[in-house]
Amino acid sequence: MNYLELLRALLPETALVVGALLALTFDLSFGVRQSRETRLHAAVIIGTLAVVAAMFGALSAGVADAVFGGVLVLDELTLASRLGVLMLAWLTLTLTGGTARLRHPAEFVAIVLFATAGFTLMAAAQQLLVAFLALELASLSLYILAGFDKSRPESAEAALKYFLFGGMSAAFLLFGFSLIYGLTGSIELPQIAHQLARQGQSPLLSLALVMVLVAFGFKAAAAPFHLWAPDVYEGAPVVSSALIASASKLAGFTLFVRLLWPGFGPAAGSVATAAGSPGWLPLVACLSAASLLLGNFAALAQSNVRRLLAYSAIAHAGVMLLGVIVAGDAGLGPLFYYVFTYGLATIGAFAVIAVVERAGCCQKITDLAGLHRRSPLLAGCFAVYLLSLAGIPPLAGFFGKFTVFAAALNLGGLAGPAGWLALLAIALSAVALYYYLVMLKQALVVAPADPASAPVPVPADAAIVLVFTALLLVLLGLFPSVVLRIF
Amino acid sequence: MTLDPLQLCLLFSSALFCVGLVGALARSSTILVLLGVELMLNAANINFIAFWRYGPPTAPATGVMFVIFSIAVAAAEAAVGLALIIAVYRHQKNIRLQEASRLKG
Amino acid sequence: MNAHPYAFLALFGAVAVAFPLILLAVARLWFRFFQPPKPSLDKGAVYECGIAPSGDSWIQFKAHYYLYAILFLIFDVEVLFLLPFAVAFTTLPGGALVAMLVFLLLLAEGLVWAWHRGHLEWK
Repeated sequence: MNYLELLRALLPETALVVGALLALTFDLSFGVRQSRETRLHAAVIIGTLAVVAAMFGALSAGVADAVFGGVLVLDELTLASRLGVLMLAWLTLTLTGGTARLRHPAEFVAIVLFATAGFTLMAAAQQLLVAFLALELASLSLYILAGFDKSRPESAEAALKYFLFGGMSAAFLLFGFSLIYGLTGSIELPQIAHQLARQGQSPLLSLALVMVLVAFGFKAAAAPFHLWAPDVYEGAPVVSSALIASASKLAGFTLFVRLLWPGFGPAAGSVATAAGSPGWLPLVACLSAASLLLGNFAALAQSNVRRLLAYSAIAHAGVMLLGVIVAGDAGLGPLFYYVFTYGLATIGAFAVIAVVERAGCCQKITDLAGLHRRSPLLAGCFAVYLLSLAGIPPLAGFFGKFTVFAAALNLGGLAGPAGWLALLAIALSAVALYYYLVMLKQALVVAPADPASAPVPVPADAAIVLVFTALLLVLLGLFPSVVLRIF
Repeated sequence: MTLDPLQLCLLFSSALFCVGLVGALARSSTILVLLGVELMLNAANINFIAFWRYGPPTAPATGVMFVIFSIAVAAAEAAVGLALIIAVYRHQKNIRLQEASRLKG
Repeated sequence: MNAHPYAFLALFGAVAVAFPLILLAVARLWFRFFQPPKPSLDKGAVYECGIAPSGDSWIQFKAHYYLYAILFLIFDVEVLFLLPFAVAFTTLPGGALVAMLVFLLLLAEGLVWAWHRGHLEWK
């Protein structure tokens, strides 16, 4: 037990927590007499510095074996996921500085930083207790962020629904963990895998896996555990929605892919052939199929931009679950690339929504009409994000889908559920293209409802986020090996 | 047929989990839903303690450690939950879930 | 006489049970002989200090209490971590002490924040 080693491995979390405390202290001591605008910018600057320090911390912690008796692990996945989460958190903070009107800016920034600390800890956890604590730190912070706007009843309602679903899924996760602990006598993933390989299947193990997967389905917003997602995406403050949709997804998938493959790998079963074999893989395949179908078809009926993005997020969760299925054979590259580029595109889309809402519009798709005249920058970036989400080459979304589907088809061809799922996802991509193009048509083709409508002003901070994410999506689409080479 | 203490504990905790789940799903008052969730968490805590107590005698106190932390998490969850319930109450003047239906579609 | 080392616990228990029972019995006897029940409208009314009672006694209280409840809860649960730490204190390395101090510092920061924001003032 070496505490210095532990501190070195936890440098990013330390930087984030110290940054949060500094933001609060600064606001309490110097912010009292300042305007709300100044306080917000001071908090965002402190937060950004903390995130940058955390990135350096993650890099300097580097790649090592198990730390502190196997509590944490610092492998390539940890490093990549931490950096990805920190980048998404930085984009969220910058967007906050540009568009948010908050009564308590320092508290908002501090809670974003706490949530980010939870995400980075989720990326490094290799033990059930740390995994549970990190997940709860992140979730509790996200509940607060979803309900942060006290003036709007929708915000409180969204947060309450998110909290009630999330609390229940936490209980399922804890019960599943307790059964795993009882079966294997350990809470460390390597020992669990060792014991599971010796014991084989048992009814209690199936129960435990089902319970863990319920919690996983909630965190990933996979059908049929998706009910919270549309309400939260619509009701929460737009910056919180962006964080929930991007960084939380990346950290959640990192945690669960580590839990499922290195931890419960011996109980995986198989979906390569039609008969398959029992385990958690068939369950994940069911979740994936349900999410693909429900997400894509329910998105067709939406008229609210944020709800549409929520249902498309459910559909994307289906593809990500397919990425979890193939992670055993094809490695973590396809899944990580897909989730990270999805997070970038989503945060960009929410940035566009934030700027448009700040200019006084509400959230209907028709409110985007004539965006190309009112702000060419917004419309152009919006096109990049939506086309990337739809999977149009040469953007990153295309290559993400391509690697995941190719890996799924490699798993057993069309002989088993993995191949069928890939075919289903490819077919449903056409449906997805339709609803993305409906939004794009409003933004790029339709004339403004009111010809004299004023141009939408884009704050400098938001412009940075927009241009950065759009550029990164194009570059990652052209050079995907930059990310894939890590694994 | 006789049950050993571990099986009795597991039966009890599963019953508690089910009671909590039914309470959380069937109640309309938000506070009662929160109570149901707490029951579910405590069922998991009983599991941890039981598995530790009736496991190998030389094992480290992992189960107890887990329970200590999960009680703290449950307390934090209750604090956040109560704050959110108050926030909803400020807007709709009651805490019935059926009336929290501004967001749908 | 050689008492069992834990005999005092049994004695303690007996006294603990007997003490409230005796008090309750005395109160009951007092009620029986010196305080015959004479219910009236005024005696059953809602108590309000000096003004005419209005409304029911079953009213909702201000939800302001919940902040104190939450603050209490947090420091209540803190003991959960401090107690095992204190029990194992002599065998722990220095790093554990620092870790526990950091934990306490974070809690204290929360209290300072609530204090400065004025959440401890009774409104």
